[in-house]
Amino acid sequence: MNPDPNDFEALLKLMALKRHEQPPPGYFSRLPDTIAARLERGEGQLGFWETFMDHLTFRPAFVYSFSLAALGALTISVIYSVRVQPEESAQMAGNNSYSWQSAAPEQGLASPYDSSQPLHVANWMGSDNVSNPAPAMPSLFDTGAHGHPMPVSFAGSP
Amino acid sequence: MTAEPGEIDDLTLVRRAQKEDMGAYDLLVRRYQERIYATVYHMTSNHEDANDLTQETFIKAFRALRTFKGDSSFYTWIYRIAVNKSINFLKQRKNRVQMSLNDMDVNAENDPDLVALVSEKTPRRDLNLAELQEKLNAALLRLSEHHRMVVTLHDIQGLSHEEIGHIMDCNIGTVRSRLFYARQQMQAYLSDYLK
Repeated sequence: MNPDPNDFEALLKLMALKRHEQPPPGYFSRLPDTIAARLERGEGQLGFWETFMDHLTFRPAFVYSFSLAALGALTISVIYSVRVQPEESAQMAGNNSYSWQSAAPEQGLASPYDSSQPLHVANWMGSDNVSNPAPAMPSLFDTGAHGHPMPVSFAGSP
Repeated sequence: MTAEPGEIDDLTLVRRAQKEDMGAYDLLVRRYQERIYATVYHMTSNHEDANDLTQETFIKAFRALRTFKGDSSFYTWIYRIAVNKSINFLKQRKNRVQMSLNDMDVNAENDPDLVALVSEKTPRRDLNLAELQEKLNAALLRLSEHHRMVVTLHDIQGLSHEEIGHIMDCNIGTVRSRLFYARQQMQAYLSDYLK
């Protein structure tokens, strides 16, 4: 017959056996000296991180205050970022004249394009007169009448 | 007139040890070494591991003594170090369990409860005490670290639920439920020896 699963009397009697297990004779006489010797040798020195973790482990109040501070900092940063973004977008949306054109100088190259005027583009000689086309640009490999390469010269160019 | 070492309370010894008074700390070690060793030994079922962990517990406690403000008793505080060290050690050692059991003292054979348990099984008492010891330790090692700790502190060392709650940083309800579950598990593992 199996024992009642909620009746632990026999189990507790058996557990008493554990209390009779003892370390070798003289063990507890030597242990304090061993510990003292290790401490005198400087063993077990705690670094910054271990000291910090000790505060976390042994002092729940420290854990709570540290967690609260971290949570507070996180909340403030979230609130601040949420508040700043709408202000910036409202400022941008409210200013209708704000465009890429307004950033350019009034008389500068970035002045608004007037489509009613013909577009003049200067040729390689710098002339924008479409009725007077520029002569063909001399090639570096042009040859003279005798078939010899001619030095490039811009002398006499318009 | 100076007080006998046994009369000086823990807090006074702690305050002195915090000022690097090694003699005061030595008294604290002598006062708690058996209980700390027993806790760690019952958790590991290994004398060598228990020896190492006990030494490390007292060394760690001495180094961390400046963080001890007296909010809890030194007894609870050092127990907590031992418990954390044991649980961390066992998690790292998972699946590499090797028992190295201590001998039983002479009183074991005269314990009426144990005599009753053994004599019901077989007249070969010596053999069965050793066998029972091994089966009991094997069953303990099958429990999770937290369940084994509760059984060790309550059923073997006799600490109250409240003290265990402080040491293990959990509420009394958790201690009770863990204890109940652990006993049920133990009872199932040892059913052949509890008939």
